[in-house]
Formats: sequence, structure tokens, C-alpha cells
Amino acid sequence: MRLDILLSFVVVLIGIYGLTISKNIISSIISLNITQAAVVLLFLSVGAIEGGEAPILGGFTPSIVDPIPQALMITAIVIGASITAMSLMLTIKLFHYYGTLSWKEIIEREG
Amino acid sequence: MENFPIYMTFTPILAAMIIYLGPNKYITYLTFIAQGILSILVGVYAIKFNFLKTPQIIFLGGWSREIGITLRMDTLSILFIVLTVFIWWMIIIYSWNRRKEDFKFLFFLLVLEGAFIAFLQSDDIFNIFVLLELITILSTILIIYKKDGYSVRAGLYYLIFNSVGMIFFLLGLILLYSLSGTLNMEVISRRISMFENTALVRLSYIFIIASLGVKSAFFPVYTWLPRAHGAAPASISALLSGLLVKSGLYAFIRINQMYDIQILQNFFFILGVCTAISGAIIALSQNDIKQILAFSTISQIGIILVGLSSFKEGLYIGGIAHIFNHAIFKSLLFLGAGAILNRYGTRRVTEIRGVFKESPLLSIFMIIGILSITGAPLFNGYISKTIIKYGITNKVLGSTFMNIMNILTIMYFMKFSQIFFGESIVNTIRDIGNTLALGILALVSMALGIYMKGILEVSAGIDLSYIYIFSIKSLIEYLLSILIGYIIYKKIVEKDINIMKRIRHFNLSFEIANIMLVAFIFIMILWVRFPTS
Repeated sequence: MRLDILLSFVVVLIGIYGLTISKNIISSIISLNITQAAVVLLFLSVGAIEGGEAPILGGFTPSIVDPIPQALMITAIVIGASITAMSLMLTIKLFHYYGTLSWKEIIEREG
Repeated sequence: MENFPIYMTFTPILAAMIIYLGPNKYITYLTFIAQGILSILVGVYAIKFNFLKTPQIIFLGGWSREIGITLRMDTLSILFIVLTVFIWWMIIIYSWNRRKEDFKFLFFLLVLEGAFIAFLQSDDIFNIFVLLELITILSTILIIYKKDGYSVRAGLYYLIFNSVGMIFFLLGLILLYSLSGTLNMEVISRRISMFENTALVRLSYIFIIASLGVKSAFFPVYTWLPRAHGAAPASISALLSGLLVKSGLYAFIRINQMYDIQILQNFFFILGVCTAISGAIIALSQNDIKQILAFSTISQIGIILVGLSSFKEGLYIGGIAHIFNHAIFKSLLFLGAGAILNRYGTRRVTEIRGVFKESPLLSIFMIIGILSITGAPLFNGYISKTIIKYGITNKVLGSTFMNIMNILTIMYFMKFSQIFFGESIVNTIRDIGNTLALGILALVSMALGIYMKGILEVSAGIDLSYIYIFSIKSLIEYLLSILIGYIIYKKIVEKDINIMKRIRHFNLSFEIANIMLVAFIFIMILWVRFPTS
């Protein structure tokens, strides 16, 4: 097991742990963000080769880094950013309606 | 002709963009033109390729399968696309009078249709991830469309919880990619048999199934569904409950076809039973008509999951048939409930009275929907429920389970149907679009009830001679379960005993839902490590 894969997996676990304990909407969104970033890191380190070259056309060396994870993770980052933006926007609206950011209080409020 | 699937995706998206860029009173009628073109495309394509008996693969950009993106059309996807276009027609007809100048609503609705059709065609596991996220974001926008506190709360919960689920999809995808080196589902399914029993393949399978469990509302992780489906506008609730929640089930079918490792079959069966029974019991405790329908969706998903869990002919076909039937009668019920809410202005079952006196036609359509969902003979729910009932290998277990489910369903619809009786106090609102959409859906429900047996026998090639649509025996069985349901309802449910109130006010906070998700994954891992059968 390589160290970078192991470390990014630990960060994934930290993010999931954060999701299971956070009682506040903002901290839930932050935990979600940490988990998403860690998954991106994990995928990139799976595709990486130590001392490998950037996968740019032209140079042909025997050890190039796998380009597919990098291409995919750009998309995943964009999706993560849009979800964060949207959930923050909804959080602002929710704060205007309920005056609190605690999941428990908001969910138990009637109507 | 070969490129028709691409046009199917982009016709509604293009129309949506034109509507959004040039907001104008008449340009919104482009919706109907786009829908018409889309219907023609789907119809011509389906007939030309004989309902895709041999699957068609479309290579995008001319790249090979291992590195490029491909689309795959087969019988299942073309049937789902036909269903999609049909449900979207109904939603547009239903909401046209109120939304015809609301170009933003039409924009999101049409983009969502394009994304959903693209999702049904995709043959690439990363594409499925991207499109599921896109569907989640677009449906969040439609859920919060009313912009009141209730719907924003539901929308936020839906968005964040589904995103947490999709993280596990990405984790499973990473494991799968590092093993097989490709993302194309067909290539993966060919390569996966080489290392079928390694722990990593199983782990990736469990992660992906867990995320799809969130998406399609399986037992412990369905807390987002009733909120979201209850808070959305009526037409969107119908769309979510009828069709979009099936995006998870469709991906579930595809992923299981790809892995082809049957290590969780019994688990899915038990999960389906738990989902069905818990959903029905919570539905029984609710007083809000949209919440009753939303929890009923959960319980029907449980029945579908029991059907799909077998992955072999009879029962499996029953599950797929129930997906289609459920889409039709649940959209009918949600649209009808929306029309009633518009007139009465309240959501409580105990306060709405006299719907039948006030609008008999609407009530008849809704009663057809109720008869379908409770599995009355001659209506479409009967066929798929009977296939599932007789398809379960353990005969005693199968008939007991389905009979209990039928009685529970009848009981919560008894609670629901008290709105039809009594004297009405409101003025009638006539809306041609509403009545037309409901009428078509009711008609399709009845037509499928009579012809579905024949269609299934010819197309799927299974023997259904044990289903007698016109027999007295099944009618008596149905009436008997109504009687039992009525007695239990009168004796227990109507008194609204304490435990019912407790269930009704039971709420799961967000972090508890996440703990449930983690627990769900751990149970699956334990199940795979220590097989019980």
C-alpha cells in the first residue's frame, strides 16, 4: 500500500466521520466538501506513478501518468463545487426562514 | 438513423435553451413541438430496430470502447425512454394552464428530461455518476420551486444526503477503475469475471449499491424521500415519485447486470420486505395526503426490490413491470392530489371532505388509481403484483408477504379515500389540462390491466397462464382483503392510538441519516463476509 493512497483514504474517513457527527448545516457542508476533495485526491493517487511524466501529447516516455483519472476528476471537482454553491445558497434561504442552522431544530419545526 | 439517441437527448435541451433565451408568450409553445419531435424520434427508432432486440451501441467521437464514451440502447432502455416521454407529456399537459408563461419552470423541466434520457442510454459508469448528480441538482431546483421554508428545507436535505450517497459511488468507481482499467460497462463486465472473487470487487460492488440505495430510497436511508416528495409542487411530486426515484433502480439493474455476482440476493430480498412493510406502516400513521402518497412510494419500491432481487426470469420481469405500473398510477394519484390541494388549500386528510360531490370525474380517475395500486383485478397493479406473488420461490412466504402488503396498502388508502365522502364546501375550479392528463393516465392504467399479460407473454417470453384477469376467485380474494383491511382500520387505525402519533412525529436528523448509511454499508460487508445461506 502506497502512502499517498493510504493518507487520502484516511482523509475520506475523516470526512465521513464529520458527516456522522455534525449537527450544524454549515459543518455538514464542510464535511461533505472534505470528503469530496479526499475522494478526488484518492483517485488521482491511484492513477499516479512515482516519477511519471505529465500525459501531454508530444513527449513519449515509457512512464506517463494515467490521464483518465485526471480528466474525470476535473468533472468531479466541478460537480462538487456546484453542489457546495447550491447548498450554501439554500442554507442562506433556510436561515432567513427559520433563524437557526441546527438540523434538529429545523427538521422538528412544523410547516 | 443511428444517431437518433443523441438527438433524443438534445431535442428537449435545445428547446429549453431557446425558451430561456427568448422569454416570450408564444415561444413556450415550443415545448409541445419539442415533445412532438421527441415522440416521433423515439417511435421511429423503436420500430426501426424492432424494440432493440439486438442492442445498438453508439460510439461518440469515433473513439474505441476502452477510452471513449459509448451509448447503449437495448430493450430495457427504450422502454424506459417511452415511459419518460409519456410521463413528461402528462406533466406538461397537467401544468400547462398554470405554467405556460413560466419559462424558468419549463427550462428546468425540459433540461431534466434531456438529462434523464441521456442517463437511460449511458453505457459508461462515470457518465452514470455525472448524470445522476445532474438529475439530483435539477430536481432540487424543481423541489424548491415554491421557495417557502418547508420546500427549501426538503430540497437542502435531499441535495446534501444524495451527494453523500454519490461519494460512495465515486469510491466504488475508483476501486473498479484501478482493477479493470476502463470505465465502459460492457468491457468491465467482460474483465470482471477474471477476478470475480477478490475482496476489492466485492467492496466496490457494496459501495456502488449503497449509493444507489440512497438514490432509490431503500430501507434505512429513505428519510429524504417523503420530505422532498411532499414539499414539491404537485406536478414535480408526480415526476419524482413516478419516474425520478426509478433512476436509482434503473442504475441498480444496470450495475447488477455489469457485475453479475450474486452475493447479496437474499439481502436484497430481506431489504425489500423491510422497505415495503416499514413504508406502509409509516404511511398508515400520516395525516397529510401527500405524505401518505410519498410513504406509499417507499413501500412500492420495496415490492419492486423484492421482484428485482431474484435476477431470474419470472420474478424479475414482475419487478420491472411493477416499475412501469407504479410510474403510471402514482403519477395519477399525485397529480389528482395536487388538483385537490389547489381547491381546498389544506393537506390534512381529516379536513378535506366531499371531493366526489364537487368533482366526480376527478374522483373517478383517482379511484381508478387507488384500485390499481391496491391490486384490484382488471387494473394494472394486479398483474405485476401477481407475478411477484407467484414468483417468490418460497410459496408460503410469497403469498403471506404479498397478502400482508395488500392489506396494508388497502388500509392506508382507506384513510386516504375518506376525502371523497361528505359535503363539499369549496367552489369547483375547471381545468381542462388537469382532467385530460388524469383521464389519459387512468385510461392507460385500465388498458395495461387488460393487455399487459399478453404483452409480457409475447415480449418477455414468460409463461403467465396462472394469471386469470376475469376470474371470480381473484375478485373474491380482493374483496376479502378489503374486508379484513376495513375491520383492522376501524378497530385500530381510526382511533389514532398513541403509537401511531409516535410514528408520525418521528424524525431523523441529518447526522443520524448518515450513521444509517454507514451502518447500511457495514451490514452489507458483514453479510458478504458471513453468508447466511
